[in-house]
Amino acid sequence: MAENERDPKVSRRYRELGAEEPPRALDEAVLAASRRAAELHPAPLVPPTGRRRWYFPVAAAAVIVLSVAVTWHMREEQPDPEGAPFYEPPRVAMQADDAKEAKPPVASPRDERAELRAAPAAPAPAAKPAPDGRAMGNIMARAQPPEKQLERIAELRRAGRHEEADRLLAEFRKRYPHYRVSEEMLGKIERK
Amino acid sequence: MLAYRGGDAGAFETLYVRHRARLFRFVLRSIRPRAAAEEIYQEVWMRVIEARGRYEPQARFTTWLYTIAHRLVVDHWRRGALSVVSLDSVELESNSPDPARHAEARQSLRKFALAVEALPQAQRETFLLHEEGGLTAAEIAAATGCGEEAAKSRLRYAMAKLRAAVDDG
Repeated sequence: MAENERDPKVSRRYRELGAEEPPRALDEAVLAASRRAAELHPAPLVPPTGRRRWYFPVAAAAVIVLSVAVTWHMREEQPDPEGAPFYEPPRVAMQADDAKEAKPPVASPRDERAELRAAPAAPAPAAKPAPDGRAMGNIMARAQPPEKQLERIAELRRAGRHEEADRLLAEFRKRYPHYRVSEEMLGKIERK
Repeated sequence: MLAYRGGDAGAFETLYVRHRARLFRFVLRSIRPRAAAEEIYQEVWMRVIEARGRYEPQARFTTWLYTIAHRLVVDHWRRGALSVVSLDSVELESNSPDPARHAEARQSLRKFALAVEALPQAQRETFLLHEEGGLTAAEIAAATGCGEEAAKSRLRYAMAKLRAAVDDG
């Protein structure tokens, strides 16, 4: 290595040749040029070359992947309508109603959603039977806006499923005691 | 250098102060006349300023600086210019009160200067890069574009000749 070639005697003798320095005028010229360059002209931008050529494609791919991941995550995290406080049914009333349908107690709308997800994947234990189609329909109905819920009740009425319609109507009235139902709709949802 | 690239003029000044004297001697002892050496010295720094936007810290700044200097010196040689070390400025600093010993020491130093001047260009440049730039054999190879083994070999030969000159003196 070069380090091994270092000879103190040679170095000392070489230093004795003198320690010339650049003239002051030269120093000033160089420093003035450097200041002018720094102040007046930003460093020229150059396209990446050689080993840096892959920077832009990789950066672009990373941005795209990140964007997709964030969008997907946001969709997953969106609160579903069941979780909205506006539609949250009174807990006691729900339990009472659902017990009639031999459905497991529903603690909250969140639990309903979990139940909906779990039901097709694994059979629930005997103590907690999975909701049948009718109960599922009612759960879905409760998750809908008031107008839709009324339409659902009207449908049940037309289909002659009066008990179900009565129950949903009672539930609706508990939940929205001040909701003004039009005369026309009243005619459709009330038992004649 | 990165700070200077970002617009910090003070950073350049720091670099300049750190390297000015050694770089100047490297050029001065590679090229004659002195006016040409000064011109090339200034040109080296102008190239550094111009290239600041392309600077990437892949090697030591010193290696990069002497790579630029090497190219300009070689260009100068290729133009057929003289490339010998100037001995005009050799001044012996001796505190010896004895004139005879002073003359002897001066003679010894002249011999050494002649030995440096007599080195083949490549060996002299390698020696100067090592002494003034403080470059290792690998860095000399990177700066001059030769192989590391060639750089080591040149340095070994140069050192052997200069050691002999010191011993003779």
